[in-house]
Amino acid sequence: MAEDFGEGSTAGMDEYETLMATTDVELLKTALRNEKAAPEILQIQTQLVKRAREQIQLMEETVEEFEQSGMDPLTVSLYQMDLDRAQFLLRSYLRIRLQKLEKYMFYIWKDDSLRNRLSEPEIFFVKRCIDDMEKHLEETVLSKLPDNYQSAGRQSIISEEDDMVPEPQLDTFVACKSSNRFVSLRLVDRYKSSFFWHLLSLIFSFFQKQVCKFAFINLQWETFGDGAP
Amino acid sequence: MGAGFCFSKENMHGRLACRLVKEFNSGEKGQLNHFNEELLNEVAKECSENFLVLQSLIRKMQEEGLDFQTTRNADHYGALINHLSLIRNKRCLLAYVYNRAEMIQNLAWTVGLRLFELPEEIQEKLSHPEKEYFKKHSSALESYMSKVDLDLNVDMVPPKDPYIKVRVLDDVGEGIVVSDKAANFARHSMHFLKRTDAELYISRGLMEELTG
Amino acid sequence: MENSRETGSTNDGDASPRNANYYDIDDILVEGELVPVVFYKSANGVKVDPSAEKDSVEEGAKVELPFWLAQELYLRQAVSLSIPTCFNQNTRREIQADAACVDLKSRCPYFYEFGCKIAPLVGDRTIGKMLLSTFQMRYKEILTKAHTTAYAPASKSLAVLTKEETSLHEAARSSMAAFKKWRIGGPRFQRASVLGRKRKSTE
Repeated sequence: MAEDFGEGSTAGMDEYETLMATTDVELLKTALRNEKAAPEILQIQTQLVKRAREQIQLMEETVEEFEQSGMDPLTVSLYQMDLDRAQFLLRSYLRIRLQKLEKYMFYIWKDDSLRNRLSEPEIFFVKRCIDDMEKHLEETVLSKLPDNYQSAGRQSIISEEDDMVPEPQLDTFVACKSSNRFVSLRLVDRYKSSFFWHLLSLIFSFFQKQVCKFAFINLQWETFGDGAP
Repeated sequence: MGAGFCFSKENMHGRLACRLVKEFNSGEKGQLNHFNEELLNEVAKECSENFLVLQSLIRKMQEEGLDFQTTRNADHYGALINHLSLIRNKRCLLAYVYNRAEMIQNLAWTVGLRLFELPEEIQEKLSHPEKEYFKKHSSALESYMSKVDLDLNVDMVPPKDPYIKVRVLDDVGEGIVVSDKAANFARHSMHFLKRTDAELYISRGLMEELTG
Repeated sequence: MENSRETGSTNDGDASPRNANYYDIDDILVEGELVPVVFYKSANGVKVDPSAEKDSVEEGAKVELPFWLAQELYLRQAVSLSIPTCFNQNTRREIQADAACVDLKSRCPYFYEFGCKIAPLVGDRTIGKMLLSTFQMRYKEILTKAHTTAYAPASKSLAVLTKEETSLHEAARSSMAAFKKWRIGGPRFQRASVLGRKRKSTE
């Protein structure tokens, strides 16, 4: 995109190029991909989100400057497109996390390690979701049930633990790509699988990118420090 | 009708509840049916009946001086079956409401965050508590979005063109505001709108995107 | 390929913890499928035996119970379980003859899931193999072809699909449609699916 615009501050443009050359957009893309593919909620990338927002802000201001400096509108719209794409990535990243929170609110809330992966606004959000849902279930169903069966977490008072909490399927298959050429993964089926995924793995194994059990990959992330996929 | 069932006795344990669950997605795929308050109450009533029987059987055993846990007689098994029926009914009832609540969450994401933004046909299908749940959930979403200072219910599709061509399908008149222009959005009129401005109106079926 | 169900060992922790799938509609409906049982013990105050005069079931009574009940009673040794009719010899013969033609949907709309749940309980080690080979054959015959052939023959064969097969088909179909759309272009913003199809607006 190194074009000669004649008039117009080249300094502003260089700054812009520098902004665009940072790899944060790439990092954001990766964070989004990971979050989309993973059945459970991953660690919030607070710093990345913060930087992305700042950069988007900066880009917005820069684009506005360009518009007002009378730059050719086609070029301005190209920069705008870049901005829109970054904006989309950020929104999608936050959105997919919220949707996971909606789906697995009780499960995430109960598990400290998962709760620690959330940002503060997300924690507020989950708590509100839980309160709203519990009240709703109580009003429409639980209050109409006999005593001893009114809990939203336990089927009855004789349940030894919370047995009504929907969980993400951690042994679902995910497609992944390794970012480093590191040691070969032994894709031994250590985890019991449900019938269908077993068969589908036959089909997926013909494709280039490997499909493996999410839980297995999760384990590998922890053992391979910087070789994480 | 459920395939494989050959019984017609409606008062068999859990049958009503099964009907309720089936009704959840019996309509067109992915769409809400009218909230079946009546059937839900019938199932809740069955739960109360289960509980009464359960209690009377336990009491009977206590009066006979038998220990409920260890004496495995006909009363024990009767109580057990009633207990199991109760939790089965509970599961079905909750699943009905919970899955509908998930669809209501989806409404907030895809159609709008305010009750008046939902079309009449949809509002009719919701029970009063469900409307309240919708409002509360929307408010939770709005609260998050304002904390992070970002609208998350737009920009659902990867951006291609910053402006898109739309045709107005229903009269929206001056009821809507777009960020950078003022226009009369009469039926059948066509406009170039910003992607994110038009998005929700398209989602609600008030406008459609035109290509080519 | 190992199949844990063949060993007849304890199932995937399906017995009591209903955590993961508590609100899952399909799981609830699978557990509503009927299993023939024989009662070892009698029970009072229950309406499971349509032939009984009062609300009870006698020892030795042969009844069909929904899976959720049959399983719990079996684990407490109150009943014995038999193989449900949809997995009997008749059906297996038909499947062996031509798996793709068998109307599994009317036998049992959750043929595979139900089979997986019931197999460890009835101690029949052949069910697992049978489910697997049935699925393989039907996948090859019906599901892979459903996208390439014209729609008319496809819709007939789709009517015999179980719920599991139908959702696979749906997933493939919608992926294909999304891919085509991406290739060809067209309006990318759509009316929300939860609102249903467009109706003719009233004038």
